[in-house]
Amino acid sequence: IENTSESSPESRRKKPRISEMAEIESRRINEESLKRWKTNRVQQIYASKLVEALRRVRQRSSTSTETDKVVSGAAREIRETADRVLAASARGTTRWSRAILASRVRAKLKKHRKAKKSTGNCKSRKGVTETNRIKLPAVERKLKILGRLVPGCRKVSVPNLLDEATDYIAALEMQVRAMEALAELLTAAAPRTTLTGT
Amino acid sequence: MDLTQGFGARSGVVGPVTGLESLNFSDEFRHLVTTMPPENTGGSFTALLEMPVTQAMELLHFTDSSSSQARTVTGDIAPTTLHPFGALTFPSNSLLLDRAARFSVIATEQNGNISGETANSLPSNSGANLDRVKAEPAETDSMVENQNQNYSSGKRKDREKKVKSSTKKTKSSVESDKLPYVHVRARRGQATDNHSLAERARREKINARMKLLQELVPGCDKIQGTALVLDEIINHVQSLQRQVEMLSMRLAAVNPRVEFNLDSILASENGSLMDGNFNGESYHQLQQWPFDGYHQPEWGREEDHHQANFSMGSATLHPNQVKMEL
Repeated sequence: IENTSESSPESRRKKPRISEMAEIESRRINEESLKRWKTNRVQQIYASKLVEALRRVRQRSSTSTETDKVVSGAAREIRETADRVLAASARGTTRWSRAILASRVRAKLKKHRKAKKSTGNCKSRKGVTETNRIKLPAVERKLKILGRLVPGCRKVSVPNLLDEATDYIAALEMQVRAMEALAELLTAAAPRTTLTGT
Repeated sequence: MDLTQGFGARSGVVGPVTGLESLNFSDEFRHLVTTMPPENTGGSFTALLEMPVTQAMELLHFTDSSSSQARTVTGDIAPTTLHPFGALTFPSNSLLLDRAARFSVIATEQNGNISGETANSLPSNSGANLDRVKAEPAETDSMVENQNQNYSSGKRKDREKKVKSSTKKTKSSVESDKLPYVHVRARRGQATDNHSLAERARREKINARMKLLQELVPGCDKIQGTALVLDEIINHVQSLQRQVEMLSMRLAAVNPRVEFNLDSILASENGSLMDGNFNGESYHQLQQWPFDGYHQPEWGREEDHHQANFSMGSATLHPNQVKMEL
């Protein structure tokens, strides 16, 4: 491997080899995004917003009687709220965050049609994949699975998908840390306060 | 910029234009003019100046003569010469002045002196013209400069490569494009047609991102092979999502049982628990939150507000700042 020794850093930056270029590019993207999920400020913002959102959820569901169903329903609501808060903290720079924030609107609109359409689609999709294709190469299959896991990234190109996945993982980790801390806080505090009804 | 300051401080500049200063100035110019062509190719230099080099020399002489005029303190000639100076050749003038300004501040004083000594409204106008006019071409010139530097340095690289390839018998990559593309050098024994290059670029991009993902996901460093790494990544994402589900269920279970004194709870529990995980500066801020209505998310403002808060030292979140549409 020959290296042309370029003296000026600017020219070196503009004419590196492909691998360097790709690495620089991805590192730049990712270090920014990863670091931002670890800053204390982000965590504080998320935690405080989460608390407030949870309060609203509680307010809404406080009137209903407490059964297991409601708890799991509340759990779903809490998770969705937490996801929304997380996505909001992303400030619209990533695809998955936009998809999460948009999904709420979409879900409301398509509530009725979703049941019919989804079953129809699923059937046709399964039929196609089983009859027409031999198994896709392993890596591509896994990339597809990953695309399904990250919200809003099913038809995204591979490098973008990897970028999104990186940011999503960092964000999820922060979410887990925040919710864990909050849960600890509340469960520790709960025995002290007067229990209402349950 | 020094130039603007020089022009602005025109009134303050009183010092007589010594012969030495003017000499330095013209010397700078000569130095610039002579060194610039070898730096860039001759073509780019003229492109920069938007005029042939000879005119630049004229410019040089003109400034020499203007400095001599300043020495003799003839008020009449100075403004009239200054005006066409500003009008006709201003792009080059500003460019050269720009460069000169970087090397020395003498240039500004020079022109400032010239216009200052006459003490008319006219030199002030021309000075202002120069001033205003300087701002635009300076930017465009720097842009043109960069592009031309890229272009010329790309040409240089091209030449270098060709030389090297001929002498060292290695395959050098074909540069598909001059300016905005990455100029790459192929390794020995690798194919160099466009498709392979594109393919290689794509692969490198993907591999770089995979490496970052590997660093992020614990336990992926030892694994060889993209498929297995992807497996790990998928598992990690799924486990994180499951954790979120568990935690949300916990929170849901906790929530209805707690009295709605969240403020006091959080305030009292602030120091012990939050400090471990975050740098929980102040959760007493939560006491200030009443129950809000539903508001639109404001992405931009929150960050700024938070920044301002943190700079103040006490992070107090005002309720109307923390808004979210649920």
